[in-house]
Amino acid sequence: MLTWHRLVAALSLFAASACGAPPDIAAIVYACGTTPAPSASPTEYTPGACGADDPNLPPEPTLPTDVCATLFADKSTPDEANLDTARIQAALSDCKGRAVKLTSAGDYHAFVAAHLVVDSVTLWIDQGTTLYASRNPDLYQKTGSCGVLGVNDSGACNDFITVSGTSPAIVGDGTIDGQGGEPLVGRDYSWWEMSNALREIDGSIGNPTLINLASKTTGFLLYRVTLHDSPKFHVKLTSTPADRSCTTPGEGFIVWGITILTPSRWMNSQGRFLSPHWARNTDGVDPGTTDIATCGVIACNTISTGDDQIAIKGGHWVSDLVIAHNHFGTGHGMSIGSETYGVYTSPDGVVHRGVENVLVYDLTIDADSRPVGFESSSADSNGIRIKSDVSRGGLVSDITFRDICMRDMANAILVSTAYNPLFAGTMYPEFKTLNFHNVRHVSCMAMQQPVVTLEGFNAAVRAGPITLDNVVIDNIAPHAVAAEFADIRLGPGRVNFKPEGVGVTTTDLVTGESTARSCVFPPLPTPVKPAGWLR
Amino acid sequence: MKGATSSSPTLIGVLVMLASGLAVGCSSDRPAEGDSCIALVHADGPCGIAADGGALDLGLHEYACSGSARPDQNARYVEGIPQGRVCAERGPRSEEGKQTYCCSDETSSCAYDPVADCETPTYGYQCRGANRPESFNAALACGQGVREGERINYCCSGTPQPDGCLQSDSVTCSPRLMGFSCLGRNLPKAGQLGANKSRADYYYLLCSTPEPAANVAYNNYCCYTPALVPRGGSCVQHTEVPGCGPGRFGFACYGPETPEEDFLPMRCPAPPILGRSAQGYPAKLYCCDFQ
Repeated sequence: MLTWHRLVAALSLFAASACGAPPDIAAIVYACGTTPAPSASPTEYTPGACGADDPNLPPEPTLPTDVCATLFADKSTPDEANLDTARIQAALSDCKGRAVKLTSAGDYHAFVAAHLVVDSVTLWIDQGTTLYASRNPDLYQKTGSCGVLGVNDSGACNDFITVSGTSPAIVGDGTIDGQGGEPLVGRDYSWWEMSNALREIDGSIGNPTLINLASKTTGFLLYRVTLHDSPKFHVKLTSTPADRSCTTPGEGFIVWGITILTPSRWMNSQGRFLSPHWARNTDGVDPGTTDIATCGVIACNTISTGDDQIAIKGGHWVSDLVIAHNHFGTGHGMSIGSETYGVYTSPDGVVHRGVENVLVYDLTIDADSRPVGFESSSADSNGIRIKSDVSRGGLVSDITFRDICMRDMANAILVSTAYNPLFAGTMYPEFKTLNFHNVRHVSCMAMQQPVVTLEGFNAAVRAGPITLDNVVIDNIAPHAVAAEFADIRLGPGRVNFKPEGVGVTTTDLVTGESTARSCVFPPLPTPVKPAGWLR
Repeated sequence: MKGATSSSPTLIGVLVMLASGLAVGCSSDRPAEGDSCIALVHADGPCGIAADGGALDLGLHEYACSGSARPDQNARYVEGIPQGRVCAERGPRSEEGKQTYCCSDETSSCAYDPVADCETPTYGYQCRGANRPESFNAALACGQGVREGERINYCCSGTPQPDGCLQSDSVTCSPRLMGFSCLGRNLPKAGQLGANKSRADYYYLLCSTPEPAANVAYNNYCCYTPALVPRGGSCVQHTEVPGCGPGRFGFACYGPETPEEDFLPMRCPAPPILGRSAQGYPAKLYCCDFQ
């Protein structure tokens, strides 16, 4: 009988030989070339190592030099009986325009707090220091449903950190830990268990957002921090330039050099297995969720979580974003939608809609960074997604993805106007100019057959033009390309599949051979494995 | 439907007898003998719908049908996948008793359902996959879908139907509940939530006993989206439990459990009374409060 351990060993040998590794391995070696770095600790950040010579980006931010107050940790664990909310908030309120630094003191490196407001001030979390979100739902209560099981009330709780005002910032090499997988105070369930209780109806639990920006915030900066285990979304971005005009990328907001790793541990303190699939609705960075978001830069970040790594929400208006040099592990994708119905009239009377003018480049998305969870489905591994439906659709236009590498996605590229076909409405998604240049998807040992979906809504509301230029999806089969009601242009670089379907027009502009993008997937942080685990 | 192409324009001008002599599957609403449909020809194209970007061919065809015949009545299931035309009725029936329809070709993944539970004048389609019926026929308007296994049921019409309820922030409710104003005895549905509201795959919201609105034709409800009832749960919403006043939540339970067990935020202080559910079956009736 082939035991589990023998099977794993056999697979490892096979994988190693298939990928060129020596056959005499002593332990499990990751199959396809990149061994995940077994560390949940943030790696030391090297300023200037990313994005320095990129003309699309502003100069890299720097840490503050003007510190108004320094608070020292007085505990080594997130002790709910000794909260730091009051002293942190007092310092933040007294230091507008300057910085409040949270730092360790000897063996004490933990702060624990409930709802905080960062209004026109910088919150600096120093290296080695962790700011924990309290697990007491009563301290986040908003509607009465916060911490209550079985209620689909997405507004039930206040945020952990609400950001507002002029040039607010959260910076530093420390960690903010939302403790989403840990049992709540006075309950025998966690934030994530509450969310999973609504999975079957695709409901939305009102758990706290880790960092949420209020309307009218301008010039927000999120720099270098590590975010772990948010109860729900990690960062909801609503920020614009102060004068609402975008002359230099990043005037609206900058998210630079952050790490999101959720779950950050294999098991919680009660021994429950934690997986990205279990960490439901834990989007990484979501511009435009609460209000308009414009003139933003999201650069040089590493994101691995249980939902969209980035989801651009067009329920108000999002425009002029540069998303560059990012590396994604597990998650539901580099996404736009599903809300795209936004309409915003600027002070000059111009009407703006949905999501416009977004440039995404130098992105890796690696489903093989770690296991997603035994309950997972194909929806847990997505590459690039533009999604909406008739209940919340609107304009998505002038979107460019270039120099993208993906590995082992179920859905490599998905353009869908029927994200949830149950919902009725007449807000038809209008997906206009979508460009894909130098996109490559690789499959480790051909174990994953990816799907490409390019679908407008109907013959009257078509998608496109969609340009596919040097788009190579390894291991794709003809039946894995779904297209309908779309105007598609191929070329000038090669495309190794042909979209066909009802209402599809294809213009072939391919001019000879092109070189498929060469992909290198950097090691990504993963939780520290428990002693005795092979991987 | 992937890989299929639109119908050829050479079909224009050809009369097609659709109903007679063809199998109608399991329909209990079989057209009377002699009822039939014919294809219509219009010089300016069928159905009078303009496509985005000026494209002319929307893959639609126009028919006139007599009696109870419909162009989409011959839908079938191929290895469990529905296949058929998707049609929108065009205007009222003529004095001669003819009804005009605007239809897709037969390659949709939807099947007309002659026994669907749809309120007149809507009619039902059962579809599989991500496409709603409107994806195959831009002349159609359909309501919220309801899952039935791997398929989704829709009620549709060629004439958009007004919502029976409207979400309204002016209806006074607890911050944890959403207000709805409904015409007559309509009950709020999740699909009537605003675009900015988080919604779930849940058809009927759970709502309180209504309070009459200032306009007597309307009732005001306070609602929420519950998690699914546990396996074996038998309590269902009943907004007309005797003695259960506005703002409280009425339930009819067929089995031994209580609403508190099926819906966690509910507290039901009084013992049940025997009565009938809204569907007319004997049940234990509870009056509860949302905690």
